[in-house]
Amino acid sequence: MTFRSLALSNVRGNWRSYSAFFLSSVFSVLIFYIYAAFLNHPDVLSGQIIGASKVKIGMQYCLYIIMIFSFLFILYSNSAFLKTRKQEFGLFSLFGMTRSQLRKLVIYENMVIAVLAIAAGIGLGILFSKLFFMALAALLGMDETISFAVPMDAVWLTAGGFFALFLIISIWSVLRIGKQQIIELLKAARQPKGKLTYKKWQVVLGALCLVSGYGMAFVMNSYTFIILSLPILVTVVAGTYFLFTQLSIVFLRFVQKRHGVYYNRTNMLIVAQLGYKIRDNARILFVVSILSAVIMTALGTVYLMQIQGKQDMLETSPFSIAYVERGLHAHEVIDPDQLKRTIAEDGFTVARESKIVGVGLDQYVIEFTGDDSSRLGWGDDPDYRYTSDAMIISVTDYNKLAGEAGREPLVAESGKLTVLYSSFDDSTFGSGTAKGRINGEPVELPVSGSINVSMLNNWLDSNAITLVMDDLGFVNLLASVPEEQQRVFYGYELNNWEESAGLVKKLDGMISEERGGDKDFGRAERFARMKETISLTLFIGMFISLLFFIAAGSMIYFKLFTEIQEDQAQFRGLSRIGMTRKEIRRVVVSQIAIVFFIPCVVGISHALFAMRSLDNMMNTSNWIYSFVVIGIYIVMQTLYFLLASNSYMKSMLRGSAA
Amino acid sequence: MSVLKAQGLGKLYSTKGNLVYKALENIDLEVETGEFVGVMGPSGSGKTTLLNLLATIDRPTSGMIEINGVNPTKLTDNKLALFRRRELGFVFQDFNLLDTLSIKENIILPLVMEGEKPRIIEDRLKPIAEMLQIESILGKRTYEVSGGQKQRAAIARAIIHKPTLVLADELTGNLDSKAAKDVMDSLKEMNEVFRATVLMVTHDPFSASYCQRIIFIKDGKFFSEIRRGSNRQAFFQQILDALSVLGGNFDDIPFARP
Repeated sequence: MTFRSLALSNVRGNWRSYSAFFLSSVFSVLIFYIYAAFLNHPDVLSGQIIGASKVKIGMQYCLYIIMIFSFLFILYSNSAFLKTRKQEFGLFSLFGMTRSQLRKLVIYENMVIAVLAIAAGIGLGILFSKLFFMALAALLGMDETISFAVPMDAVWLTAGGFFALFLIISIWSVLRIGKQQIIELLKAARQPKGKLTYKKWQVVLGALCLVSGYGMAFVMNSYTFIILSLPILVTVVAGTYFLFTQLSIVFLRFVQKRHGVYYNRTNMLIVAQLGYKIRDNARILFVVSILSAVIMTALGTVYLMQIQGKQDMLETSPFSIAYVERGLHAHEVIDPDQLKRTIAEDGFTVARESKIVGVGLDQYVIEFTGDDSSRLGWGDDPDYRYTSDAMIISVTDYNKLAGEAGREPLVAESGKLTVLYSSFDDSTFGSGTAKGRINGEPVELPVSGSINVSMLNNWLDSNAITLVMDDLGFVNLLASVPEEQQRVFYGYELNNWEESAGLVKKLDGMISEERGGDKDFGRAERFARMKETISLTLFIGMFISLLFFIAAGSMIYFKLFTEIQEDQAQFRGLSRIGMTRKEIRRVVVSQIAIVFFIPCVVGISHALFAMRSLDNMMNTSNWIYSFVVIGIYIVMQTLYFLLASNSYMKSMLRGSAA
Repeated sequence: MSVLKAQGLGKLYSTKGNLVYKALENIDLEVETGEFVGVMGPSGSGKTTLLNLLATIDRPTSGMIEINGVNPTKLTDNKLALFRRRELGFVFQDFNLLDTLSIKENIILPLVMEGEKPRIIEDRLKPIAEMLQIESILGKRTYEVSGGQKQRAAIARAIIHKPTLVLADELTGNLDSKAAKDVMDSLKEMNEVFRATVLMVTHDPFSASYCQRIIFIKDGKFFSEIRRGSNRQAFFQQILDALSVLGGNFDDIPFARP
């Protein structure tokens, strides 16, 4: 037996505990390779793929994240693994293995794992890269596919990077072993479990942290975000740490005092051992909880942003197709008949349409009394003279639109204007004056206030802002303006507007350049663009989340397996005194379930509070989407749990059968 | 009335290469209610195999066992586990106490597993703990108490559910002589006061001298049997004499104690 074959057989012998670590490493390598392969793809490098620039930077960052994360993950796994093998190392030392030989042995073993993981990761990466490219091409809306390629740069980057990572970590971790006496190493596994203790002040502090953190998150909104976000982060993270190290023990103590529950069959064993399982794994449970909270919150936020973005679009562009004509009978932008024909040709139908006659208020400026900081428009500032104009409409027209949109009708003050202005925080303006020119003549009109609504598309030069006037005043005003100077707003809301990007492009082509500023057909296109960005973000983020998730699960799995020998011995004894297999299974599986799902539950709770603050800030409520994300997470965690508990149970029974 | 009856008990170990090893051959054994029986023999004589068969954690290749009128070899694994839990009590050389549980919780474990009410559990625990003088350590953990205390806790666990038969395996093997004496005194007291039937495997003549009857086995076969008179000191001498006749190697666990 050579030294290397000893290392090899060590890896083989410890395979069960190595496997989770190995698989997570393979997965990190796999994801890293696929991203690197895309970034180093010849078509991307040569700039042939137009859409690639959209995802390139994101992927670059993902590579860094994977590297940093893998570093921490491998470091943790390695040191935990070495700790569990203290006894073995003690034996080797006892037989006269020198310290440097011991170190060499560990480095050999790690290199075996590293080479295997890198080879498997890159191999799988090459296999799956085409699939990834296909999905990416579909999301980028590319016509041709990204060809299959194995960029050697990516292979070397991945192999070299991860090999260096493994090497550095194993050298670092072996330098830390071997400082203890042999006797301590030999006794390491048999050290008694000790008493479960908690410090009162830490319990109180932990509870305070959690309650205050949650409380602050519950009330936080966009105004208090800057003051509260950091304290929330700190208190919740600290509270979570104390939750696992202190509060869990207090809780179990409480259960242990309830003899009716505690002395009920297997409960006693489950609860008593759980205390130790949680204490010994407190740090890892803490990290996993925070990690899953971050993942869920991030995914939930992206979802929420999509929903919010869509609502904003509907708000700022109430009609998917809108334009303003100058002149009551003018059709300079586009002829409505032609427009409708084109819509019908492309297979779309109009859900509702509006034609509203208004009066243009050119070079407008609206000032509010007692509020110097808010001013809408630029007046006759020569720099902005030709940018945009306001439009005055009648309250009857407004109320008709409001009725269609299901909003409250407006009662206009006689002779005064109401500003339609939707602000992100629902605030409104008070009274003031609007100045500008109507039909070339300077005018000054009183303003009674604003309401937080926008009823007509405001991305139009002739309708940068809409003002509502009482009917009598409006009729008089309109009569003073000749027909060719009146403004007409045309709005069409399509059914299935989300898919109308193609139609809109066609319509755009029919409009002359010079009147391009008086049409707003862009909602469908903006939506498509946003959807693409979000789905790309989700797609790329999904792999990182999956990596986090798998690594988090494997850390728990790995920790479980480091204690399997103790468990085996214990259950061998228990089965001798007459515990049935079913009862052993119940004890083991409930413990694993609790260890697996506690971080899940804590993470979900954190994420829910985070999303609640997000809702506060964005003034929305989209819990369904949060629940979708959480649901997916729970399903995946359950699958992982079933796999882990099955495999654990199997090797447990195999070991305790003797 | 006999609680344990074994007839023609045998155990063969065979490997794939058809190598057959007779660990136990044609053992007849009968234990009456309230008896305190010892099984002695040199290393490799088949003591532990016999105990494993009686403990129902191993199945004999020939012969039959009857404990309290039930033949455990005919039970399914699940029923067998329940049978062990209800009919048998165990005391092991290595104590076999769970270090995640307190001493008290370890003792009441058989009752808890049976789903007894907390009040009944307390009622059962009290007299036993008192008699074994372990009341003061009930709240402690296993690593906080001495070996003798651990073994007395194990005895308490073995009899708290009033089993038909208590099986003890080298229960003084890990103890110094003072602790061994305390433990044997305790076991004897349990035997006398609670009428617990005890079958003990040992090769320590001192522990064996507490028994009423000792069966010697050698090379897997019945060798001889001696009964105790009134004097334990005399019985101890009798055992030593029997062992010298028996011969064989007794030093897998040293006699000399610190």
